[in-house]
Amino acid sequence: MMKQYFDGLVAGIERTLRENPENKSPRKIYALEVAKLGSRLYSGKKRVAWCGVTAPFDLLNAMGVTSCFVEFVGAMLASTGMAGAYLEEAEHAGYAGDTCAYHRGVIGAMRKGLMPEPDFLIATSVPCTGGLAVMETLAKHFNKDLFVLNVPQRLTEESVQYLADQIRAMVAFVENHTGESLDKENLRRAIHFTNEARVLTEEVYRLAQSVPSPANGRVLSNFGIVMALLLGTKAGVDVATAYRDEFRKMIDNGESGVADEKLRLLWIQNRIQFKNPLVDMLEADYGAAIVSDELNDITWGAIDPEVPFEGMARRAISIPFNGDVTRRIAHLQQLAKRYRIDGAINPCNWGCRQGTGARGLISEGLKEIGVPVLNLEVDCIDSRNFAEGQLRTRLEAFTEMLNERPSIW
Amino acid sequence: MYYLGIDIGSLSCDAVLIDAQENILATSVVPTGARNQEAIARATAEVFRATGLSETDLKATVSTGYGRDRVQSRTAAVTEITCHARGLQALKPDIRLLIDIGGQDSKAILLGRDGRVMDFAMNDKCAAGTGRFLEAMARALQVDIDELGELDNGAERNLTLSSMCTVFAESEVVSLIADGVAVNEIVRGLNRSIASRTLSLVKRVYSGIEGLPVAMSGGVARNAGVIRSLSDALNQAIFVPEKPDTVGAFGAALIAKERMENGKAA
Repeated sequence: MMKQYFDGLVAGIERTLRENPENKSPRKIYALEVAKLGSRLYSGKKRVAWCGVTAPFDLLNAMGVTSCFVEFVGAMLASTGMAGAYLEEAEHAGYAGDTCAYHRGVIGAMRKGLMPEPDFLIATSVPCTGGLAVMETLAKHFNKDLFVLNVPQRLTEESVQYLADQIRAMVAFVENHTGESLDKENLRRAIHFTNEARVLTEEVYRLAQSVPSPANGRVLSNFGIVMALLLGTKAGVDVATAYRDEFRKMIDNGESGVADEKLRLLWIQNRIQFKNPLVDMLEADYGAAIVSDELNDITWGAIDPEVPFEGMARRAISIPFNGDVTRRIAHLQQLAKRYRIDGAINPCNWGCRQGTGARGLISEGLKEIGVPVLNLEVDCIDSRNFAEGQLRTRLEAFTEMLNERPSIW
Repeated sequence: MYYLGIDIGSLSCDAVLIDAQENILATSVVPTGARNQEAIARATAEVFRATGLSETDLKATVSTGYGRDRVQSRTAAVTEITCHARGLQALKPDIRLLIDIGGQDSKAILLGRDGRVMDFAMNDKCAAGTGRFLEAMARALQVDIDELGELDNGAERNLTLSSMCTVFAESEVVSLIADGVAVNEIVRGLNRSIASRTLSLVKRVYSGIEGLPVAMSGGVARNAGVIRSLSDALNQAIFVPEKPDTVGAFGAALIAKERMENGKAA
């Protein structure tokens, strides 16, 4: 079923791009690559590894392994409107309804046979231990080997070496399962693509900082986290190039992502993955553009092809969700300043300790620099918990409040 | 010319008609019921009847409340947070913190010196501690909702209700009655629960509440017992306008006037 769905999606987007080459939007190119990844995951023919969010996907791509973080499935179920049945399946099995619905969706999909069987699994201890527990459950269910990357919380030379050594061990683990050695030339090429995509993506984010911004509430939604899956591939470079070119063109032509941009918003953590009218409402009724997402940033340096595992280790350790929350707050403050943010929206994803646990500290941190925060109560995956009227009132009141304030920039 | 504010909430639909000098000419409060169009028509008809005016005398109408987009005659729709803040500021300009508890929402709104909304927080996920909650408790106690406000008088114990979920609290109230606990102590316990829940909203928008002039609007502000418990929790007096449930509609009418004067209709 899912293979057919993704194949249909690939064919549809390719047809659209072929028939309307002038409408070759970067979002379509991005969607095409996501659909291709989905198709590979469900093909039954590729080597598949289910992974944690901070796994080195470029390295796995270089080793010929189709790899993906499991939360992708939760988001996919939500975006296609299918999540309800899978969440219920997990709940019927005893998983509490107020646990993370990304992970509950994965458990439901596993129990209903919708998760492709992996060849092996590579978990990461960051960003959340809930994800780690899901990986353990999947490994047990499929009776497959699980490799755990224990990501240290502080960026020191010792911690980089510690994680780099684990990545070396991970390579041996993968070689052992695939029966193929890591090809040095493949790795070198993958790192070249990663570094190229990194520079391009930094430029995309820099362009998005323009006032008005070429970005809007949809165009870069989920972009940063999904781009990690395309690292080490030509596809990743192509997607980033398409965005950079489109944003440059828009800025040159005096166009903006939201016509008559009045407010610039920062979205904290995950987007709401199921279809909902809130982003359109913000844009159409208030000229409020989501110009930055917390997860859309490059916090790591270029990977040195001579010592690639150390570079990948630094990258994993660098994400602001790693370590204590002061790091995350400092990063959000930087984003707010870079993008000249008027207000931030924190969906406080139900069941997510990252999403809800630090919300008071995050609010205080952004208020310190004059940026108000709206804390919502949203389950980003489970539309059964979506109270549109309640959320609409909070968002509208927030934008009304922002409209009455003089800009702090 | 005249300006109309309509606040259509989950429990009541309120209308306030003002003139160009911002004088309140008439107010009405009718139950929303299941058919909000009828409630809007009734609330509007009442203020027209009281003043002898009609639709053609209106220069602008601003709607607010959860049903604000359903008011067909609106010039603009504005949220209840902004409208309550604006209405209260006109009634009592020195207020810096407004607590509004309506039928299904409770809000803490921090106001700037010019009456602008500086920050706000609303109830999370459920409507416990709101007007609907009190309705359910009045039902469990078999008393009229309007009586509830004085039923805490004479209570000596500070009873703590273990749950703030409306359904569970209702069964707890029934159990307490069965155990022979005095009604005034149960009501005081309910009021303290609402106060405790509201206090956490207040602290979210402003932790240094001491000394900040506080007011309360919304239908629940008519309940003197809740005001008493909230005042104890905040350790200060709370200003309650004469007609607390029409503050939002008054604010809406004022915004209607301001927007017409500023040439900003929508």
